[in-house]
Amino acid sequence: MANSRAALSNGRPAGMAAKRSRFVRDFVLNKYLYLMMVPVIAYYVVFHYAPMYGAVIAFKNYTPVKGILGSDWVGLKNFSDFFQSYYFWRILKNTVLISVYTLLFEFPAPILLALLLNEVRSRAFRRTAQTIVYMPYFISLVVICGIITDFTNADGVVNHLFTLFGYDGQAMLQKPGLFRPIYVLSEIWQHVGWESIIYVAALMNVDQEQYEAARMDGASRLKQMFYITLPGIAPTIAIMLILRIGNLMNVGFEKIILLYNPGTYETADVISSFVYRKGLLEFGWSYSSAVGLFNSVINLALLIAANAVSRRVNSSSLW
Amino acid sequence: MKKMLTASLIVTIAGTLLAACSSKGGNESEGNAAGGSPVATAPASASASSSTDTSGSTYPLKTDKTLTYWAEMTGNLVGVKASLDEVPFFQEWQKKTGVKLKFSSPPAGQAQQTLNIMLASGELPDMIEYDFLNGYPGGPEKAIADGYILKLNDLIDKDAPNLKKYLQEHPDIDKMVKTDNGSYYAFPFIRGDEYLQVFQGPIIRKDWLDDLGLPVPETIDDWTNTLRAFKEKKGASAPLAVNSKPRFFNESGNGAFIGAFGVTRGFYQQDGVVKFGPAESGFKEYLRLFQQWYKEGLIDKNIATADSKSVDSNWASGQTGASIGNAGGGIGKWQPLVAAKDPKAVLVAAPYPVLHKGDTPMFGQRDNPYSSGGIVAVTTSAKDPELAVKMLDYGYSDEGRMFFNFGTEGTSYNMVNGYPKYSDLLMKNPDGLAPAQAISLYTRGSYNGPFIQDKRYAEQYFALQTQRDAIDIWKKTDAAKYALPPLTPTPEESSEFATIMNDINTLVDEMTLKIILGDEPVDKFDSYVAKMKSLKLDRAIEIETAALKRYNAR
Amino acid sequence: MKREAGWLDRIFDVVVHAIILGLVAVTLYPLLYVLFASFSDSGGFLAHRGFLWRPIGFDLGAYDSVLRNPGILIGYRNTLFIVVAGVALNLVMTALGAYVLSRKNVLWNNAFMFLIVFTMFFQGGLVPMYLVVKGVGLLDSLWSTIVPFAVSTFNLIIMRTAFQSIPDSLEESAKIDGANHPTILLRIVLPLSLPVIAVMILYYAVDKWNGWFYASVFIRDRDLFPLQLVLREILIANATDSMSTGASAGDRYQLGETIKYATIVVATAPILCVYPFVQRFFVKGVMVGSLKG
Repeated sequence: MANSRAALSNGRPAGMAAKRSRFVRDFVLNKYLYLMMVPVIAYYVVFHYAPMYGAVIAFKNYTPVKGILGSDWVGLKNFSDFFQSYYFWRILKNTVLISVYTLLFEFPAPILLALLLNEVRSRAFRRTAQTIVYMPYFISLVVICGIITDFTNADGVVNHLFTLFGYDGQAMLQKPGLFRPIYVLSEIWQHVGWESIIYVAALMNVDQEQYEAARMDGASRLKQMFYITLPGIAPTIAIMLILRIGNLMNVGFEKIILLYNPGTYETADVISSFVYRKGLLEFGWSYSSAVGLFNSVINLALLIAANAVSRRVNSSSLW
Repeated sequence: MKKMLTASLIVTIAGTLLAACSSKGGNESEGNAAGGSPVATAPASASASSSTDTSGSTYPLKTDKTLTYWAEMTGNLVGVKASLDEVPFFQEWQKKTGVKLKFSSPPAGQAQQTLNIMLASGELPDMIEYDFLNGYPGGPEKAIADGYILKLNDLIDKDAPNLKKYLQEHPDIDKMVKTDNGSYYAFPFIRGDEYLQVFQGPIIRKDWLDDLGLPVPETIDDWTNTLRAFKEKKGASAPLAVNSKPRFFNESGNGAFIGAFGVTRGFYQQDGVVKFGPAESGFKEYLRLFQQWYKEGLIDKNIATADSKSVDSNWASGQTGASIGNAGGGIGKWQPLVAAKDPKAVLVAAPYPVLHKGDTPMFGQRDNPYSSGGIVAVTTSAKDPELAVKMLDYGYSDEGRMFFNFGTEGTSYNMVNGYPKYSDLLMKNPDGLAPAQAISLYTRGSYNGPFIQDKRYAEQYFALQTQRDAIDIWKKTDAAKYALPPLTPTPEESSEFATIMNDINTLVDEMTLKIILGDEPVDKFDSYVAKMKSLKLDRAIEIETAALKRYNAR
Repeated sequence: MKREAGWLDRIFDVVVHAIILGLVAVTLYPLLYVLFASFSDSGGFLAHRGFLWRPIGFDLGAYDSVLRNPGILIGYRNTLFIVVAGVALNLVMTALGAYVLSRKNVLWNNAFMFLIVFTMFFQGGLVPMYLVVKGVGLLDSLWSTIVPFAVSTFNLIIMRTAFQSIPDSLEESAKIDGANHPTILLRIVLPLSLPVIAVMILYYAVDKWNGWFYASVFIRDRDLFPLQLVLREILIANATDSMSTGASAGDRYQLGETIKYATIVVATAPILCVYPFVQRFFVKGVMVGSLKG
């Protein structure tokens, strides 16, 4: 033990012996941990990695009878079909923009809510508010979008409100320029409560003593919120942010399809909705799989980058 | 999280066969396929020439084998019975044919998924009821080539005399039921009468017309006047209400209104040439008309977001006087809705509009006699395909046709003056089931299946005289001449076609809405057509033309 | 200075309460909408536009239609099993994984993390999954919706982050006292992580409660269908509002709208009760002051 430690501290690679003993040392030290990890690793191997070869159909012209491994290899044809579409850049742009806007506006909302709820002293009020605010998450998307459409239609309640301020009164969902705001705002409406739960839980771990100290120094509640509470949940925020960035390309098609129409395609049509329409014309498993792979690769790259940045900036990261 | 699942859902529905499984299933299917149907297409001589049609099997067949049958449960039965073997119709079917069946069904809405898995894992039943024409990538010929279902030509020839005779007597239907290569792949669902093929068209409030002293509109100009009167005198905020999901005026795809200008929303044929409606000048005029109508407030101002619920809502609140709908689901649904508010209300069918009085509409909804929903294929796993074929042939015999359409005499129908009338058990069910459900319990007349549908079912299914009259009004179009028959592109062409058309459809849908809403002038149409051409529209037309040639040569 | 802070604090309070109140009003509406709609007369409901202040008419028809389905009770029973067994398995697996991954100086942890996170991006698809589940013999049993989903990577990461925030000193001193890892996990880490455990229960329970898709793929026996799958079938059956060869004028079509809402109420009401129950776990970290330096 002393030998290898000395060897390592010299800064010179001490050769295979030292490397191997590093592994051995680690194993000896952590063998219980590895043992505890076995069921989890087994789970991932059996249910995630074993089926993963299926992802390769993106490169094939899939036919059920030949199976995945037997189907003809068409290389990048499925991808080029996708990239060469007249609308490729538009749907890519829309996907990215919608994700970025959602990141900018919808991501912080639950954090703010958790902070605000933390400041409420009446336990009854806080508990009731928490219970109600997360409910839209459970209402099916079809109903939510139905309500949105109804409110923003000509003569709808929200629409009416805006006409008082000079809006021209047409159905808001037919204007391309309004699609993204409506989408993002309704995302907040639907998710802010549910997503705040994790931050509320994280807040429980913030050291109470710091508040005491701050109060004695006369800091206002607002200041306390910024200098104690927020930093206290910074690791949680960082991890959630990394994961969100790793989902950038995943703008789900259901909500888009429920809210869009050909009049708003130019801002609303995203990759998933475009692929969905193609699927109605002809189901190409290989085509949609290729698109999915494209999305996944970009997402993973973004995640790795975000993770690296986070590691450097505040040392909470995935690896 | 959910998004991930959804993404993987749409994105990777992949099939696989581990090599071992694949060859195992393949070998079994080799055996059966060889026994079942080698290449020959022309029907054999002996039974073809005879005209006595009741040659062939006598039912019930004498066998003690049990066959497995996979089919979706129709919507009307979900919640009423837990599985097909509890449904009286299916129980009787087994008795009448003499063949015991073991049923399995996918959960509602999951047929394609479940079938895919079934195919991939090699667990095939003897018979599968599924739309192989539209629901299998590559089409039915491919399903045969892939070794899943049997090519039925020889089997039909030998063991399905009823079907064979019907097809010989109806060569145009015969063309529809085969593939380009002449293979029969499933026992078809056939609408036995023109009356059953038409069921959709313009619907209008007769009581309003009467109040205003207007006749039922026939020409486009009539419609303009009528809608204006609805708006001004009846206060309708959406005189014409239509469904815009997934695209503006979705039902125009069947030719309503747009047909008056000599085009339709999709592909059609004229003088032997395949054309694409939105690229023709008639489409420009259609856009011009609707832009005008929108500006005047004659169509729903929320037309961009309108879906079928908002159409229902417009009817229910008295804001609309006309729409496009089905005799059953349209008139049948809206009549009570409107009458709830306005007891005098009467909804009737209006003819498909034309430009000049006296013209026959070029286009109108008209389904083909052969509908690929509900067809039944025999799989390569069937150990006794002859038995399966004999059993399935029952639906095309005289006795079978009565049974499928009307059920069991005495229980579900009674002969009244030679007319099979549904009994009270169905029409006034004591357990409170709606006629639609009760009929589905005892008969199959109301939904697709392996038989020939009888028009007398529909006549009774429609409770209102206005519904029955509607069919006669709507069927007076030339759609049979101009619409394309059910074509099948080759598998390679099919992906190319889908890729091109996805772009073109997106373009056309955008153009349509933007012009109609007034965001762009009508003249912008020409630059859109140019863009369509640059998106390879001509190649798409070429593919369709080739498919049409192959179809005509069947 | 104290006085100024007090005045600012009061405004702060008002603003906070106002915002929250506004949010509560806005988020309560969809729930009320669904509730009112489910009790409404369907024809009247279709005609109605704008805010829904109360049910339009009063009609239990939708509920009658949904609840008379014999599959509902079976569905509830199956789902209950799936939730209880599933969440239990989830908690055990996730806690094990999160604990190990949150320890420092474990050589393989980074590699594990990467490999685990990788699975969030690349999946093989439905049929390979089906074949695996078939291969391990879970097909056509309720466990097929539980075991292949034993760990949610997202949740695993959250729990790991939470475990990481427990000071190392606690682990150190426990080790000195001779505790091994399982003991540390059970006696120290878990009791201090009650809030995040509560969140895990909530996330997993909701996920299991809402699940229907994989059940539709892996389970053939209708007696094993979970609630959401049963309800989905009802919804689809009633949504057929334009049948091609038409049907007679029937109330069934109209009911379709309100049935949708009754279904949501039946499907969601139970799970909505979980959160208030779980809220009591949200207690401020009790021990944190106990160790200084």
